[in-house]
Amino acid sequence: MPFLRTLAFNLFTWTLVLLIAFPLIWMIITSVKPQTELFRIPPTWWPETITFEHYKRLLYETPFLIYFRNSVVLATTTTMFVVTLATLGAYSLVRFKYRGRDTLALLVLFTYLLPSVVLIIPLYLMMVAIGLSNTLLSLILAHTTFALPYALWLLRSFMEGIPEDLESAALVDGATRMGAFRDIILPQLLPGIISTALFTFILSWNEYLYALVLVNSDSVAPLTTGVMSMLISAFNIEWSLLMAASVMMSVPLIIVFAFLQSYLTSGFGAGGVKG
Amino acid sequence: MAQVTLKNVRKEFGSFTALESLNIQIESGEFVALLGPSGCGKSTTLRMLAGLDFPTSGDISIGDRVVNDVAPGKRDIAMVFQSYALYPHMSVADNIGYPLKKRGVARAERDKAVQAAAELLQLEPLLNRKPKQLSGGQQQRVALGRALVRDPKVFLLDEPLSNLDAKLRSYMRAEIIELHRRLGKTMVYVTHDQLEAMTMANRIAVMHNGRLQQFDTPDAVYNRPANRFVASFIGTPSMNQIDGQLTARGFGVAGHIVPIDRSRFAPDLADGDYMLGVRPEFVILGDGPLPATVKLVENTGHEQIVTLELANATRLLARVEAGRRIDVGQNIGIGFQADALHLFAPGEDGVRLNIDTSASVIPMRSR
Repeated sequence: MPFLRTLAFNLFTWTLVLLIAFPLIWMIITSVKPQTELFRIPPTWWPETITFEHYKRLLYETPFLIYFRNSVVLATTTTMFVVTLATLGAYSLVRFKYRGRDTLALLVLFTYLLPSVVLIIPLYLMMVAIGLSNTLLSLILAHTTFALPYALWLLRSFMEGIPEDLESAALVDGATRMGAFRDIILPQLLPGIISTALFTFILSWNEYLYALVLVNSDSVAPLTTGVMSMLISAFNIEWSLLMAASVMMSVPLIIVFAFLQSYLTSGFGAGGVKG
Repeated sequence: MAQVTLKNVRKEFGSFTALESLNIQIESGEFVALLGPSGCGKSTTLRMLAGLDFPTSGDISIGDRVVNDVAPGKRDIAMVFQSYALYPHMSVADNIGYPLKKRGVARAERDKAVQAAAELLQLEPLLNRKPKQLSGGQQQRVALGRALVRDPKVFLLDEPLSNLDAKLRSYMRAEIIELHRRLGKTMVYVTHDQLEAMTMANRIAVMHNGRLQQFDTPDAVYNRPANRFVASFIGTPSMNQIDGQLTARGFGVAGHIVPIDRSRFAPDLADGDYMLGVRPEFVILGDGPLPATVKLVENTGHEQIVTLELANATRLLARVEAGRRIDVGQNIGIGFQADALHLFAPGEDGVRLNIDTSASVIPMRSR
């Protein structure tokens, strides 16, 4: 019975989708419910009155916008650092032949074997030693350290997919090495660069632990820690505000994702079949 | 126009020697094929000419200039790659114009040159396409266009036809020969296909295991191969090789004697083990001193290739005119045309021991 099978399969898939999407939907619904409706039993599936007062309070009465700006600066700068370094590093690992090249590539991945909790104390002490404690820059550097190895490996597999002949041809045609890199390699690498940038941006945007340890004043806290410390205290959790903040934190990611998701999935497939 | 000289060029990759002291002088305007099986060092040689690899020792000159330390882009060479290496994100016009752009040629002049190259190669309707939208043969022509657009001194071609199907290959072969005649430029052409080398080149450098085996005209490498390797590598089907003993009575093979004219070979040859070489077209079926059994008959239409087996299990090929009736399993006496016999020293790289006089060369149709 092909029809029944298709039906069963669809039902199954949609159940899964709903299950996964439910917390997100509940987050949006909660964020527009008035306080009085929040803890009613039985809960209202659809808010009786829709209100945007939580959003308004967040924007006008809390440092939310400062956290937001910090997060944007943090994630963007980290992404720029990581993509630049990883592109050059991957080029070196793939194109130049030198002693210990493969060992180096493996060592880079080795850093992932250490849990970040182990790295965070030495990192904190180093930041203090160079006078960067409690600055956005310290967080940017910290995020770079954990995003770079993965970015390097991702871009390496993209780079390996670019035939060396292309670069040789450019050299014979009169380009310098940097010229060939700019004219030929970079355009070929663009899908890889975009997906690496996305990975890094998301990683940095959602990062919590490093932000919690390295930064502690409102003026430099990113969204993750800022919102948590602002709305969650030992006595009370501001659920409505928390949900509104969560929606506004997710929106930029969702927008970026929607536009670039085809690049992102090509990133997941990198190293298998090259496209 | 420029001559190309390789003097004592040696190339090592780690402990592996890819090229052992290569000496080649390519004349201005000459078309030279570097021919050999994979791993013989021919591509390494070409990459060193291009400046993409560097010799471990020795000198490479283009014109009167030693170019060992000159960057590829400054050598005034152009190269066509086996993979074509077209820039995928650029249009055909941008691909062809890229070398000019890198040399700072002004836009208007560039467009004119691209247009001229496109006209020469019949690419005008394709100028706005991307390489991915072209067929293999068209991509090949774009690669050629990119090479000839800036009028280099020397063209380097690395197996440019090996990715094309058979029909297109012979068409492009003719096209490149025509191009060479029209431009009169020095061309160095790497191939593993002896037919390409024979039909296209003025001279062929046959290479094997990083060593130059022979550097001579197609006619000479075919009729006067320097050693066993060249003899077996040039020609399809390749030259028959028969091990046997040289005695006062002739050449002994499996208990039979093939009469040979000793005056055609080096005068001081001692009796002993040697190898007799004879091309399939000079094997005479029907009356000869060597008994053989017909194992296989392949009819190609205009001729038949007959596989024969001697009593000592040596297999020979003979080229026979079409229409003549030969049956598989038939026992037949074979002989060889006396003036077409080659004698080689024993061993894999045994040198040829003939004395060549102009009369001993069997004329070949020249290109």
